[in-house]
Amino acid sequence: MHSEITSLREEAENAIRTVTDARGIDEFRVRFLARKGSIAALFDRLKTAAPEDRPALGKMLNELRSAVQQMLDEKSGAIQAPASGEAAPADLSLPGRRGFIGSKHPLTQTLDEIRAIFVSMGFGVADGPEIEDDYHNFEALNFPPDHPARDMQDTFFLGPRALLRTHTSPVQIRVMEEHQPPLRVIMPGKVYRNEAISARSYCMFHQVEGLCVDRGVTFAELKGTLIEFITRYYGAGLKFRFRPTFFPFTEPSADIYISCFICGGKGCRLCKQSGWLEILGCGMVDPNVFRSVGYDPEVYTGYAFGMGIDRIAMLRHGIDDIRLFFDNDIRFLNQFRQ
Amino acid sequence: MRILERWLKQYGDFSIDPHELAERLTMLGLEFESVQRLDTRYNGFVVGEVLTKEKHPRADRLSVCTVGTGRETLQVVCGAPNVAPGQKVVVGLVGATVPRNQHDPSGAPFVLSRVAIRGVESSGMICSESELDMGKDSAGIMVLDRDAKPGETLASYFGLDDVAFDLEITPNRPDWLSHMGVAREIAVLTGTLPRLPRVKLKESAEPVGKHLSVTVEEGENCPRFAARMIRGVKIGPSPRWLQNALRNAGLRPRNNIVDITNYVMYECGQPLHAFDHALLRGGRIVVRGAKEGTPFTTLDGKEHTLPAGAVMVCDGEREVSIAGIMGGANSEISDATADIVIEAAYWKPSSIRKTAKLLGISTDASQRFERGADPGGVRYALDRTAGLVMELAGGVLLKGVIDVYPRKIRERTVPLRVARVNHVLGTKLKKPEIVRSLGLIGISESGVKGDTVKFRVPTFRVDVEREIDIIEEVARVYGYDRIESGSGATFSFRQPFPAVSREQTLQEAMAGRGYQEAITNSMQQPKKAAMGGATPVRILNPQNQDMAALRTSLVPGLLETAARNHNAGNLTLRLFEIGHVFRIDDGPAPKLVQNYLEEERLCLLLTGSSAPVHWSSPGRDVDLFDMKGDIEFLLAKFALDKSRFISYSTSKGLTDNTLGIEIQGSYAGYLGGISKEVRGLFGLERPVFVAEIGVEGFRRDIRKAYVPLPRYPKVKRDVAFTVDAGIPAASLEATIRESATELLQSVEVFDVYQGEQLPGGKKSVAFTLEFMSLERTLTDAETEAAVGRVVAGVEKAHGAALRSMR
Repeated sequence: MHSEITSLREEAENAIRTVTDARGIDEFRVRFLARKGSIAALFDRLKTAAPEDRPALGKMLNELRSAVQQMLDEKSGAIQAPASGEAAPADLSLPGRRGFIGSKHPLTQTLDEIRAIFVSMGFGVADGPEIEDDYHNFEALNFPPDHPARDMQDTFFLGPRALLRTHTSPVQIRVMEEHQPPLRVIMPGKVYRNEAISARSYCMFHQVEGLCVDRGVTFAELKGTLIEFITRYYGAGLKFRFRPTFFPFTEPSADIYISCFICGGKGCRLCKQSGWLEILGCGMVDPNVFRSVGYDPEVYTGYAFGMGIDRIAMLRHGIDDIRLFFDNDIRFLNQFRQ
Repeated sequence: MRILERWLKQYGDFSIDPHELAERLTMLGLEFESVQRLDTRYNGFVVGEVLTKEKHPRADRLSVCTVGTGRETLQVVCGAPNVAPGQKVVVGLVGATVPRNQHDPSGAPFVLSRVAIRGVESSGMICSESELDMGKDSAGIMVLDRDAKPGETLASYFGLDDVAFDLEITPNRPDWLSHMGVAREIAVLTGTLPRLPRVKLKESAEPVGKHLSVTVEEGENCPRFAARMIRGVKIGPSPRWLQNALRNAGLRPRNNIVDITNYVMYECGQPLHAFDHALLRGGRIVVRGAKEGTPFTTLDGKEHTLPAGAVMVCDGEREVSIAGIMGGANSEISDATADIVIEAAYWKPSSIRKTAKLLGISTDASQRFERGADPGGVRYALDRTAGLVMELAGGVLLKGVIDVYPRKIRERTVPLRVARVNHVLGTKLKKPEIVRSLGLIGISESGVKGDTVKFRVPTFRVDVEREIDIIEEVARVYGYDRIESGSGATFSFRQPFPAVSREQTLQEAMAGRGYQEAITNSMQQPKKAAMGGATPVRILNPQNQDMAALRTSLVPGLLETAARNHNAGNLTLRLFEIGHVFRIDDGPAPKLVQNYLEEERLCLLLTGSSAPVHWSSPGRDVDLFDMKGDIEFLLAKFALDKSRFISYSTSKGLTDNTLGIEIQGSYAGYLGGISKEVRGLFGLERPVFVAEIGVEGFRRDIRKAYVPLPRYPKVKRDVAFTVDAGIPAASLEATIRESATELLQSVEVFDVYQGEQLPGGKKSVAFTLEFMSLERTLTDAETEAAVGRVVAGVEKAHGAALRSMR
């Protein structure tokens, strides 16, 4: 039996050298250390040994068991973590195991930043359908039928009075139809316009709409809120201006411009030599819009605003072709790791 | 709309630098596309007289001319067929920059130098309209008036000592589509209201009614129709000042009558039309509806089929003009015209817009009428036109005006509450300040009652009807920038909408797992759009057939993306997209718009290597279990324990080896490998795996109660069964769970073996089982009993044999 113990030890030493993976480790354990393994079998036979030999043989067997266990532990340690401890390979300059690095789309990242600012100012987030009806996309927003204002947004039509929404503003209507004031909400999403595709414009893009309705909301507060947003998003030190413009669903309406952050207002290609960049449209919700959702315009006032996420992302990253966003070349997407 | 500085100053002088003017008007709501001096482009261009013309000795189509420019005589090679001695022409001198190169596709400007053309020296260039960027005519050189003086600069000849403002006009302000309209805005800066030129007319004794009658049958669509008649006019080119004014404003001069009507339109915004009286049968004008389908030729020579509802100006027998849009070829002014009828009307905007849209015509006139012309300005424009015609084309004005205007459109009176102004704007304006501001744009106080002031609004301000419209005017004139910004006055803590959406959580999860987010076009080729297995929604007016339908699945868009990336050499891709899919559905599912069903989905795509290259292992390509694992990860992350996979025996839709994904007992999506046929359609050679799953399923609104940590140890047992190779591991697992007592805590497959150590058609599946009691430490006997139940259950249910246990 003494020799069997010795040869089993040799057998184990040989076997452990051929083990290279977890499966081998398991097979090794089953063969030598399991309850029906070779070592257990020898322990079973201890009963049949001469009583005076038993203590010595028992000691040898125990030593064998712990030695084999140690072989196993070292091997499995080496397989699981070759760079750890004494089993480490000599060259620590070799690279570690890196996984793939994922990323959110640059448009999503831009939206995330915008959303975080408005959420911190007490706005919630709502959404709506991309297929809209004429009522929500136009009529309830104070675009009368057969009015030239409808030409401001070239529309893709799907059927009688059904279309792809040309702006996120119909979500304003849906939100107000479902909820009573006070409301503070932003509404991001895809919009579609039948415009020629070029580096500057695509037939599908993204907007964030904003709406705030309560008693006593004023144009002054609209200015305060949006200036706060602009300052947080674009940084302090920029000049901005509010310029009168026309949207059917707000009155008074304004376009907000910031001083060009490339040339500092001196005039460059990005700002078309004007020194200004248009970044936001806004205004006080038109009383007709309130009437269409059953709010009393004498009781409530509110402001709404909207901005193009794609345009903001282009300005922010110096991207000169909007189509890059929708080509999804991973060499492009890879540049926007967070 | 192009506005000229010199033209503007006729209505009220001002001394504001053009760029400053543009800046200040911008802050009043006008949008400037550009501000440019007109003369700077034409340095080095002068009037020349062609003295001689010889054929080029070595080129049939070229001629060699001598041209006198007052100071010198130049030899110029010219390719135009129409060049002739005695002509006054435009000569570009050596060193001048020609605005457009006709021989360059981009038309980039170029500098003239002294050159030899086929051996003949040429010192300058005789220019065409197109080369000067003054018009489209490139067939021949531009011939100037006979009285042009050789040596005179081109800028002086064309009156280019002027500044052009190019404006983008919002649809609410049709009054800005004229010089007078812009001049009225300048009054806000100067404080002086502009004035239109006074018109004094000398009428003859002969009454207009003797030669002309007007009947309006379409009173609803034609609230006002006015006409005058002038006999014995002499048709000819307009004087230079008029031609220059039109040309500088971007219009093409034609003849004196047409030029005058255009000039008056650009002056005060009222479109006008002149008819040849001899061509108006019966001396009659009748305004009536078109008979649908009637053919009609407009004066630009294009033939149209009249739509129902079009309002037409007719004579005694036939249509002569599409009301408010464009005149007809059958009654237009020609060189033979002697007696003319001038029309000035006010048309209902929606009627004009409808007809113009149906016909696909947009003209200077239709643009103004459909936005709203000034019903109160009709008479002035008519008289102004008559005055200019007599001044420039002679003729005798018949006595009287025909003015069919049964219901006078009066100036509106709009009440304004001073408190409401401040309530909306957040200002502290007082009444006098408001009245003064509005006065600057011609809106005047007409009465007061308590806090309410009544304002009279001129008829050209079609956009000002309500109190809020007046408030906007106050804000505009007062200055948006002067309104002090406030903050948080109405802050409310109520918030029915969440701050973080499910989409965001999914985006974070997938980006964290090494996926890159893609955003693809929802509009697709109908064939691809239908690949989702539903009838796609068609776009009625698509840009092209590649974008003529809406996607019913996110998979085709990501496959296109994968193909594009493969072509660019990006072979390993881990992409996800979250987006809407659309279909027509007449079933009971709830919809927001008609029968359009819209659903938000998450789509994953895997292809290429399973991990970045690493020295420790040869690496492998992704397979179905990578995709399944990522879905399992998502389900686990959202704690959707009641979810399972359903194996489809046949291939389904786009994928082979398809697994359905069920969440809480309802179908949520699927995963699989893209079939070879589908890969072929997208030009994808390598295996691609996808999953598409409804975002709706990722709901996690149940907050789970905390489970106390176990106080007793777990016992682990491994069991391996030999079973028929066709039995799915998931069925074995299900049997294990069913057979076990509540002591069983977890089951995981840790090995699957099929090979020489087993008989053919058999496989071995090994499970790790964990047992635990919440009340006590399990004894060996208890554990053995628990394992025994499991083994017996599996053996019985699947004809399995226990291969090993430890």
